[in-house]
Amino acid sequence: MKIDHFDPPGNIDDLGNDAGLKERWSKEMSGIFDDSIERVTQFLQSHGGGTCQFYNPVTGGRTDPDLVPSLGDIPWNGFPKRFGATGPTHPTNFAAAEPKRNPGQARLQDEYLEWHVNRNTADKIVSIHFTCEAWDYFEFLAAQAPDTVVALYQKFINPPVSHAQLKADLFPRETYDRLNKWNTAFGAMHLTHSANNLGAEVFLGASATVRRQEDGVEITQSIPLIRCADYGDDKRNSDPNIGIAVNDLAREKRMITLANPVGLYMADFDGAGITLNGNPAGGFFRVVRGAFPQALRAVFDLPSAEVTAGHSVSDVKIGGQALNFGGQLAERITMHLFGIASVDQAVNNAPMGCGAIPTTSAPALAAAAAAFPHRRLHPRK
Amino acid sequence: MPRAIRSPREPLLDVKEIQGNILAGFNKDQQLLLALTFRDIPAARRWLRRIAGQISSLELVNEFNSLFRKARASLGSDPAGMIATWANIAFSHPGLAKLTSVEDANGVPDGSFQVGLPARAATLRDQDPGGSADPTAHWKIGGTGNVPDVLLIIASDSISELRKAEDRLRPNSGDGPGEPQLIWEELGQTRPDLPGHEHFGFKDGVSQPGVRGRLHAKPDVFLTRRKLAHAAGKMQFAKPGQPLIWPGQFVFGYQSTDRETGDPVEAGKLKPAWLMNGSLLVFRRLQQNVAGFTRFVKDAASTIPGMTPERLGALLVGRWKSGAPVLRAADHDLPALGTSPLVNNDFLFTANSPPPVFLPGIRPPKPFPEAPADAHGLICPHAAHIRKVNPRDQDSDLGDQFDTLTRRILRRGIPYGPPIHDPATDDGVDRGLHFLCYQTSIEQQFETVQLDWANSPNKPTVGGHDVIIGQTSDQRRAFELLTNAGASTQKLTTPTQWVTPTGGGYFFAPSISALRDVLGVGS
Repeated sequence: MKIDHFDPPGNIDDLGNDAGLKERWSKEMSGIFDDSIERVTQFLQSHGGGTCQFYNPVTGGRTDPDLVPSLGDIPWNGFPKRFGATGPTHPTNFAAAEPKRNPGQARLQDEYLEWHVNRNTADKIVSIHFTCEAWDYFEFLAAQAPDTVVALYQKFINPPVSHAQLKADLFPRETYDRLNKWNTAFGAMHLTHSANNLGAEVFLGASATVRRQEDGVEITQSIPLIRCADYGDDKRNSDPNIGIAVNDLAREKRMITLANPVGLYMADFDGAGITLNGNPAGGFFRVVRGAFPQALRAVFDLPSAEVTAGHSVSDVKIGGQALNFGGQLAERITMHLFGIASVDQAVNNAPMGCGAIPTTSAPALAAAAAAFPHRRLHPRK
Repeated sequence: MPRAIRSPREPLLDVKEIQGNILAGFNKDQQLLLALTFRDIPAARRWLRRIAGQISSLELVNEFNSLFRKARASLGSDPAGMIATWANIAFSHPGLAKLTSVEDANGVPDGSFQVGLPARAATLRDQDPGGSADPTAHWKIGGTGNVPDVLLIIASDSISELRKAEDRLRPNSGDGPGEPQLIWEELGQTRPDLPGHEHFGFKDGVSQPGVRGRLHAKPDVFLTRRKLAHAAGKMQFAKPGQPLIWPGQFVFGYQSTDRETGDPVEAGKLKPAWLMNGSLLVFRRLQQNVAGFTRFVKDAASTIPGMTPERLGALLVGRWKSGAPVLRAADHDLPALGTSPLVNNDFLFTANSPPPVFLPGIRPPKPFPEAPADAHGLICPHAAHIRKVNPRDQDSDLGDQFDTLTRRILRRGIPYGPPIHDPATDDGVDRGLHFLCYQTSIEQQFETVQLDWANSPNKPTVGGHDVIIGQTSDQRRAFELLTNAGASTQKLTTPTQWVTPTGGGYFFAPSISALRDVLGVGS
């Protein structure tokens, strides 16, 4: 794949017609790719050599053919595996996945999908808001276009405060606070978990192109691979699945990158069997930012007529069972990202031993990193 | 010298308590299903006490099956004189609640069992052919307002013996007044023309998990006979392609399988305690449109250069009609492979299958082409039926190979209705499959396989729907065939479904003592 710039996640129009802003975003993404490639390259060089099989489609784009898109389409379930059922008599712990959050507290949902449940004074669910927008994208926006960030909060969180107060809440000491109260205690504007960022996605993808071996045998299974390469958390649906899918392609000696626009997306929502008073209610799940299969934000709430009739989301049933938690809907959301791999199979790297690829800045990139403080490569931990 | 698996940690199964169809399987050519409702609880209890002694245990069924296998091995064919007739029983949530209490019935740790199949049918994307909002509106049994309290299963090698058993087991006036009422019955039979094959013509039931557990106090008398030497790692196989799974995945009260490590997980506390040795039974009456399937395969194959209907059918299923997996027979059927039980299930998806190391005394099978790694589905498409419902070593949206172990079910299905004379011509005859499976979590096992995987175009891996059993709201399903080594693709879209649910239910199969001493007596 060869492109001349990166677009914002989901091709969302936050950047408007500001060509300079769009260019800065593209450079931001390109820098993340370059940082990741630099670190992988250094790792390979310090372990006997090899060619980084991850490439930047803007600065190092390839014009040779790619495999069909479906081979780079990597899905996973949006509900955190760590709270899932662990046996026939150990059911899914929905309550544990969505404890009350206070300002400064990130959510515990670590599959690139987070949600916030709004309840009324009677503790009935009024609405559930899902987001898969990475916090580093919002930090970029906050640094480059703070008024856009305030407008997005006004549109999607709708806090009952003045514009000035909202801006003060979001930018205490004139710096964006991603764990502000409107993104924790009272809403979910974007992802908050430290691992849920685009830099981590790109770095995970780059790291997973490194072939690994243990005791002389190349690793081909997801959990042994992630434990060996240490590029994420083995207790997630996402990280091991992404890692092994990328590594499968790397072991086939292909060149790999992420499709533009880079992002973590809701691929679809399974609304079958969701009812209100016996009538289908799956359609109450609405994508409000982006669109399937690159949905960024969704809401589940009731039409005004149902609210007027005295109903709440708590009256909804999923397959005959009461809807008590946002996680019951998160289980119905398929997440995914898009990789791209070359048809060409020409890079014959030797498998490396175990150990994480360092995330500290390479010296040559230190200055660039300092210039863009929000550009950070976070391991998926 | 290959080493036998010695695992003293494997639990001793209560063979006199567990119903025989769950872990051993009846494996009969005739299987009758009877659905009943209670009209009077004292009469229902009298009936249950009367028949409790005729409910076949794991001990009986397994011993017969072992003898049958030995006789067949000795004779080289099925021993004609060996006949057995078995019966098992299971209760819906309403039936269980009537005999105990709603609280006790809610103690069965499965939300889907508690609400019942009619409430789950829309979630499973079942559709009413008549267009009703209730997918079960025209079900022959188990639809809304027609949920039986009991499902009785009678199976035999002999139809006359089966009918005699039916006479003995059916409620009668001696149980009354108000004895349980028979509301539906249907006979399932193996196809006389193609035993072991379902109505589309494919060999069925090839892949079953191996259940861990011992039958006797001696540590190495296992329920599932071990034919392979102990392999490196935690994934162990009883025979090629048959992974070993802890019994708590299928029977309550035993260690289950950790979805991350494959290690045994101690069973949680059961309340009420009499759930011990019980299991959850899913019944689906799946009507098959043989002519529709045949026509689609023929028409679609004609649009693909070099494709035959037989090969396209094999790609949709992942096996040829003989049972031979396409991963070991990519271009044409190998019937001898399909009938070779030590080979026909021996393959992985993402890795080359290692050569099996058999235990002493196990005669290695005739060699066949080996199964190559096929992570991208270039040989066996990602959406092939056998790959959708059991991704084996390929990661799914939910986890890796150990997670997939926790989704496995024990299938005990049998066809119903006569074989079609001309598969390309719809004769209007109702035929299909009595799909039956056992597990301890309908939500995490049967429903995950059907709902999360078979019905999805992008899970467990991207590539389309399971067009054999997958269901969508508009019946249209997509199937992706990769061509040119993955550089291009051919997408097929099915106009209709060929498998339509027309009945079913979620049931609890209690232990034999719970049947006799709890359900037959009352608290």
